[in-house]
Amino acid sequence: MSPDTVFSTTSSTAMAGWLLLILAPRWPALIGFIRCGLIGALSLTYAVLIFVYFFRVEGGGFGSIAEVRTLFLDDPVLVAGWVHYLAFDLFIGTWIAVEADRRGYNRLLQAPMLVATFMFGPLGLLLFFITRASEMALTARKA
Amino acid sequence: MTMLFHDSLALAPAQNFVAAERRTRSLLIVGIGLQVALALPSLTAFFVDDRLINDISVWIKPLKFQASLVLMLGTLLVLLPLIDVRTRTGRGVWLASLMAVITASGEIFYITLQAARGRASHFNVGSPAEAIAYNVMGAGAALLVLSSLVIGLYILLRPRPDAPIGLRLGGGWGLVLGSVATLFTAFALGSGQIDGPGHWVGGVRTDLGGLPLFGWSRSGGDLRVPHFFATHIMQALPLLGLSLDRFAARFARPGIVIGALVCLAVVGATFIQAVQGYPLL
Repeated sequence: MSPDTVFSTTSSTAMAGWLLLILAPRWPALIGFIRCGLIGALSLTYAVLIFVYFFRVEGGGFGSIAEVRTLFLDDPVLVAGWVHYLAFDLFIGTWIAVEADRRGYNRLLQAPMLVATFMFGPLGLLLFFITRASEMALTARKA
Repeated sequence: MTMLFHDSLALAPAQNFVAAERRTRSLLIVGIGLQVALALPSLTAFFVDDRLINDISVWIKPLKFQASLVLMLGTLLVLLPLIDVRTRTGRGVWLASLMAVITASGEIFYITLQAARGRASHFNVGSPAEAIAYNVMGAGAALLVLSSLVIGLYILLRPRPDAPIGLRLGGGWGLVLGSVATLFTAFALGSGQIDGPGHWVGGVRTDLGGLPLFGWSRSGGDLRVPHFFATHIMQALPLLGLSLDRFAARFARPGIVIGALVCLAVVGATFIQAVQGYPLL
């Protein structure tokens, strides 16, 4: 498979996961499918890409910007990096959804946090963390 | 065992009330949380981002709106218990709260996104998408204000029997008058009929060197002044009611009437002042 194919396949897979997470009912089986099925498949893809391509890149590594840039100049490793985002962002999104359900957040208010996680990973996580902290502060005072 | 069973049966409706009330409160609380969650990175960005709109940091506007919407949703949250318990746990109050939270969040998301893009959110019809977004935001802001109007009417028409009179009248009329006055000033502000699009009337068209904290023009009229006073009637009258209850309970009714008239007079006066092109100070 060419890096292009892997890129578009994994992106569609992640997109499907996000649509399910934002729009579908939170059936336990569905959450299980997103976690183990979709994120599992993305993680497997990532692992294979790393096994096959990562150590071939001359001068690549995590030690300096130059080394990381060299890694990302290689298309298969660049796609691996992208799949890393896709898998971890979706995992975090699923965790946010489950935790937000448990705390009784309205689905319409979860949507912007999930979209933010989908688009800009850590930004969505930050939104959820601070929202939850504010919520805990306001409800604790009441109780 | 039987006793226990009967007890829990008798408690069932009350527990439903509690659950329904928690659902509504949780809506508002999560809405407040979202505003705070956007305010923190916005505040940090304010110190590191050097992009400007109207000669001031792009992050000033999101920060002002985040603060103001926290205040607004917080006011609804605090005033909610003034409504009779049956009404308060019903569909109408829930729907009004949902509407307020959804529109407030939508508005703040767009304002923050536009700041991050270094673009204006208000009066920006520079691209088709922005023109649509600006119109949607206008509709959303109207719905936001209408939802607080609805909560205000609930407080006035379906109050809790033992609600303190000053807070009840101040809260109810504060939300009602604040909403109506906000709609009026926002319409004047948004229509662009007064000295063209934008909040300035005459003067130098910049936000630089404006009134500290608020940024209102000091060289000409600024339609944000009456808009500010109109919106914050929603906090001023409840606070007046609260202090009347505490210190002069006998004068709660006339006190609120006078307070309401003063508020409207301030909005009217600052509106006329702005339209004529004079700065507040």
